[in-house]
Amino acid sequence: MLNINYPKIEKKEFPNLELNLVEPIHKLNLRGKNRDFFTKAGKILSIMLPTESNTSATIKNISALWLSPDEWLIYGKDIDKNLMLSLDSEISKLNLGSVTDVSDQWVLINMKGKNVFEVLSKGSPFDFNKFKNTKNVVVQTLLNHVDVILHHNDTNNVDLFVRKSFSEHLWLWINDSSSFL
Amino acid sequence: MFIITCPFCGERDQSEFSAGGEAHIVRPKQPTELSDDEWADFLFMRKNIKGIQFERWNHAHGCRKWFNVVRDTSNDKIYAVYKMGEKPPSN
Repeated sequence: MLNINYPKIEKKEFPNLELNLVEPIHKLNLRGKNRDFFTKAGKILSIMLPTESNTSATIKNISALWLSPDEWLIYGKDIDKNLMLSLDSEISKLNLGSVTDVSDQWVLINMKGKNVFEVLSKGSPFDFNKFKNTKNVVVQTLLNHVDVILHHNDTNNVDLFVRKSFSEHLWLWINDSSSFL
Repeated sequence: MFIITCPFCGERDQSEFSAGGEAHIVRPKQPTELSDDEWADFLFMRKNIKGIQFERWNHAHGCRKWFNVVRDTSNDKIYAVYKMGEKPPSN
């Protein structure tokens, strides 16, 4: 894991916008419903999984993003092999829920600057008016007809997850759109 | 184009959803006892009302959950949205 060939994405700067590939970084998909699942996941990750829709929780370098009522995306620099083994042995193997390593499935692109939402609005049907004024919110939507997960982790700072096979295409579209700012 | 309120994620554009056809079609308890016509009726025949219709929708590009919608097919006005397993609104 984490030794794959990432798309050819190099840091780019545009007026009030900076684009950067944040890889390699571990990403996990957690699924579960019952109380034991929440307790175990919270204890191992030191994070209470957010239960409110379209929100996230971040502690130190680990973020948990709400994806659906029983699904979360966990990512961060502090996720290592030991943590993944703990989740696997205490959640997956006990059938409390599922833990899937999706590090190679999603590519993380960081976008920051005042023009982030100008670019996103060009290709997404989502209304960013409330989103851009709220920190730690998450949305799964379309960007240029491609599925993306957007995490607004700081003011004008968005982590964008896109499936690896679409990443180069979307990267080119973002670059193209940004050049017209 | 119209807005659908996903019961999990909130208001989203219709392009994020996929339609799943008529809602509340119950699978026959004993399919083997049905005639070919009755089985085909269950599998394929769907209402196509011009007016208020109960439908299933999937938030395909969001939370990927299924839910039910009461929609007027003539003007795309949505009267109610409710989760799977919940009773449809009576009015």
